[in-house]
Amino acid sequence: MSESSSFAQHVKARFWMRSSLLSLTTVVFMFAAWEFVTATGLANKLFLPAPEAVWKAFIKAATKGYQGNTLQTHVGISLLRILAAFFAAIIVGVPLGILMGLSKDARSLLNPIIEFYRPLPPLGLYTLLVMWLGIGEESKFALLFLAGLPGIIITTTQAIWNIEPIYARAAQALGAKRWDLVRHVYLPAAGPTILAGMRLSLGFIYTVLVAAEIVAATAGIGWMIWDAAKFLLSDVVIMGLIVLGLTGVALDMAMRQIGHWLMPWEAQLRN
Amino acid sequence: MKKLLLGLTSALALSSAAMAEAPEEVTIGYLNLVNAQLVTKSLGLVQKHMPGVEINYIKVGGGGDMLRAIAADQIDFGGLGNPPTAIGVARGLPIKGTMVLNMLDYVEAMVVRTEEDIQSFADLRGKTIAAPFGSTTHYLLLQALANEGIDPASMKILDLRPNDIALAWSRGDIDAAWFWEPNLNKTVSDGGNIFMTSGIMEKRGYPTWDVGVVMNEFADKYPDYVEKFIAAECEGIEYWISNPAETAVIIAEELELSLEDATRMMRGTEMVPCEKQLTAQYMGTEAAAGGFVDTLIATSDFLVSQERLPESPSREVFEDFLVSTWLENVVAE
Repeated sequence: MSESSSFAQHVKARFWMRSSLLSLTTVVFMFAAWEFVTATGLANKLFLPAPEAVWKAFIKAATKGYQGNTLQTHVGISLLRILAAFFAAIIVGVPLGILMGLSKDARSLLNPIIEFYRPLPPLGLYTLLVMWLGIGEESKFALLFLAGLPGIIITTTQAIWNIEPIYARAAQALGAKRWDLVRHVYLPAAGPTILAGMRLSLGFIYTVLVAAEIVAATAGIGWMIWDAAKFLLSDVVIMGLIVLGLTGVALDMAMRQIGHWLMPWEAQLRN
Repeated sequence: MKKLLLGLTSALALSSAAMAEAPEEVTIGYLNLVNAQLVTKSLGLVQKHMPGVEINYIKVGGGGDMLRAIAADQIDFGGLGNPPTAIGVARGLPIKGTMVLNMLDYVEAMVVRTEEDIQSFADLRGKTIAAPFGSTTHYLLLQALANEGIDPASMKILDLRPNDIALAWSRGDIDAAWFWEPNLNKTVSDGGNIFMTSGIMEKRGYPTWDVGVVMNEFADKYPDYVEKFIAAECEGIEYWISNPAETAVIIAEELELSLEDATRMMRGTEMVPCEKQLTAQYMGTEAAAGGFVDTLIATSDFLVSQERLPESPSREVFEDFLVSTWLENVVAE
């Protein structure tokens, strides 16, 4: 028993090594290609500055700042906006999703709204939000929130919908109340899918960040990218995009880790 | 020497251009402001000078967007104020300046909310002010604050596009804004008054203007069409100067304004006749560059001090950017 599990761990470690190595190869290859096209002059410096220039822009923004704020402040403000909208989307989206997964009537009532605004382009929506809520934080929050919400609602609804009814009936036979069902049957069974939906929704929020920070922001990583583009500072633009991408990867990893803690059975199932 | 070479190559290009084919279509990016380009567009003058060529007009909100359109190679001809021009030239965009589109007087101005009782730049401390970043008015705002020794950080300066400024103003989100017609008037008639104009700043030594630009690739391929374009715009400027009443009707129609508003806005823009553009105050000639070069140098030095530009290009770079040859040929005809 113990032997076979240590063998499994060994295989798993080997597999992990291999996938990390492959990922690393991709990153190294992309850097080499970037360095090559800029060093040989194949790429116009105005549109694709050399890695060194982007690194310099990073150091300058981190130490001296960009237009009054350090890079850390820009990232911090954006993360605050993203996380506030993300948590609000979870708080609103998960209960709505459960409700819609359990009740056909709730689904019929809410579907028209969600299905209608979900495919709307964020910038079109944003114009209206600015008219209603002004140029301050409210409209930015609303845009990010609305971008994140449908993903969570739809996956939660699906997840609840797909649970074997026999689980609920078995629990009911054992005397479970409605709330017990939600806590001990629906949430654990739907958890992994809901988490996947959350990760998707965080991605959607990221995609509209720059749009949200275009109007009347004075700080934020999306604003920094937009402002630098206006002055054709492509080194700052690329640096900002890399930083934005890395924070996205870090947040996603954190969410997967939280998923492992909250739902250890999911990891065990896969082994 | 460099100038001479440039002149020679463009002369060579000119002679070979007689045989060159015509472009299939020409895309003109025009700024959403009050100048004679609207006349040229409305009367179809570019079409008249380029028979058989398809003419596309694209309306562009401000200098920042125009720079992006140029960088993305989406237009053949465009228009830029002096700050975006300085940015574009310093960053090596492949463009040449061809002519003066307009000098900016009170068509660009700073509007302040009347109830805020703002009498001086110092009164702006603690207020919220909007301007389209990277544009002529953003430049003048920072320049004026620097002259008065006021720290821009003592107020909240927001980057908004002209139509967003009008929107934010009507909601009461901002206390002041330095931007341009036709949106400027919406704020003035909605509890605002004019505190400073770009014309006053010109008298203080900070002229702002818009210059016509052409993509290098287009100019190399179809130099005679650059002249055709300039000839059309010159005709538009002549029309503006000699037919003010008819021009007002055109402006009112193009920008959906009342005739009265259009007439007033027209007076806030100074159009320079093409032969006058070749004098020392403006473009100058190929032999003797004019005052625009000095303005571009001053503008880019200021942008460097604001950390909006890494470094200022040399005088030669700006002299090479402004090409008077085409305009000289058009005026000589």
